[in-house]
Amino acid sequence: VARPRTGPDEFSRPLRRVLVALLVLALVGLFLLWRIDSPRVERFRAGLVDAVVPNLDWALVPVTKAAAMIEDFQSYARIHEQNQELKRELQQMKAWKEAALQLEQQNARLLDLNQVRLDPRLTHVTGVVLADSGSPFRQSVLLNVGARDGLRDGWATMDGIGLVGRISGVGERTARVILVTDSTSRIPVTVQPSGQRALLSGDNSPLPPLEFVEDADEVRPGDRVVTSGDGGMFPAGLLVGQVALGTDRRLRVILAADYQRLEFLRVLRSHALDPITDTGGLIAPPLGPMPEARAEVDPGAAAGTSPAPAGGDVGEGGSGDAEGLASGGGGD
Amino acid sequence: MPRGWPAEAAVIDPAVRQLWLYRALFVGLAAALMFAKLLPLGAAAGAWPGPDILLCVLFAWVMRRPDTLPVLLITAVILAEDLILMRPPGLWAAIVVVASEFLRSRVALTRELTFVVEWMLVAGLMLAMVLAYRLAHMIAFVGQPALGFQLIQTFWTILCYPAVVGALRLGLAFHKPAQGEIDSRGRRL
Repeated sequence: VARPRTGPDEFSRPLRRVLVALLVLALVGLFLLWRIDSPRVERFRAGLVDAVVPNLDWALVPVTKAAAMIEDFQSYARIHEQNQELKRELQQMKAWKEAALQLEQQNARLLDLNQVRLDPRLTHVTGVVLADSGSPFRQSVLLNVGARDGLRDGWATMDGIGLVGRISGVGERTARVILVTDSTSRIPVTVQPSGQRALLSGDNSPLPPLEFVEDADEVRPGDRVVTSGDGGMFPAGLLVGQVALGTDRRLRVILAADYQRLEFLRVLRSHALDPITDTGGLIAPPLGPMPEARAEVDPGAAAGTSPAPAGGDVGEGGSGDAEGLASGGGGD
Repeated sequence: MPRGWPAEAAVIDPAVRQLWLYRALFVGLAAALMFAKLLPLGAAAGAWPGPDILLCVLFAWVMRRPDTLPVLLITAVILAEDLILMRPPGLWAAIVVVASEFLRSRVALTRELTFVVEWMLVAGLMLAMVLAYRLAHMIAFVGQPALGFQLIQTFWTILCYPAVVGALRLGLAFHKPAQGEIDSRGRRL
């Protein structure tokens, strides 16, 4: 039944236009709210992801496993070469294992002599990767452990070998890990053996660059990169990767973690992080209350703002851990 | 919600049922596409971004059957995608709503176009959307990926558009409304 030309449509159209404009305004308002007050919206987002994605588990896991099986099947074709290669590697590894055992014993003895207390709080929770970020412009994964497992924002996440990222966004059952390669990731690192401090800043490429290296001449390709523990974000000494020189002549890091197959990740229970409650002060020379009083005020204020020297926890009665290590190393 | 349902619709009208079937189909399609993106299958950093199929589906759908795709449904689906895929919430949804309304208000024009011209229109619209998205990022001082990287995705999306149109035509018998065709509620398309 065709309606006449001046049906209700002709009248509702301007009204509809106003409603659509309001809708767009509301969406832009949401974006602005996110920009201004990000944590609140991000908490809502984490809650939504927490409610939706674990329910897809029954489908996500089989599809992922099937794809992995196809990949494994393809590798059967090269099984003979791989076997040869692995045998050669095993020979080399045996030599390394011997060296490592000796070094471990030596290290334990030295720690014992120095009475170093290892941090007993450094335990971990292992989670399974549930989903990707879903966008090529964001590098993050979703783990199936969350607030109910005691996870907190900011904790370091590793695979078996190297650093993978940090927890950012914790839901009840899920937690999001921002990978080191994400363009928002900045991690303070130390380059061994020169001890140079630098910042590993992800740029959405597989090899994140090192920035703010104190003296770039001292850093060579092949040097080990570990976390420095600056800023109290991560524990110091977690392996990140190896320095390499990128095609653009920048110092980049080949990550030790196997990013092709992130499956099981361990989240390190770090110390309780200080919550950020205020906006923080300006970084400026401290002002004295009165010009004539400045002479007395300055030294104390300057000492307050200077960075505290980072020192390891050295205490007495710490030999138990070191002995445990020594006997463990000897038993193998 | 559709307005002005006839009173007889209490006994489910086949036209109304078809309308809701189409809507459910769109939501299911969007959910399946999002699910595929969420699979943790080695989307390594620096890999080339793939196409945004949902955007192709949405544009092709709006140009063919605008009556079955209300603006609120589009908003809900894209906003959910924004939230789950870690995009700034609301921004892309707002841009997609504006773009879909732009196409919706030009149904009378686009039905005259040949497919190649329609494709060019969609390509221009997609490029404009990416530029608007980046501009908004810039104004709000939000970090964003490199322009070239994002344009690769747009390029792929544009390339995928004919395939999506073909799939919709084969799978759902979607076609552009002909002159004088009426929708399920008897209104002219």
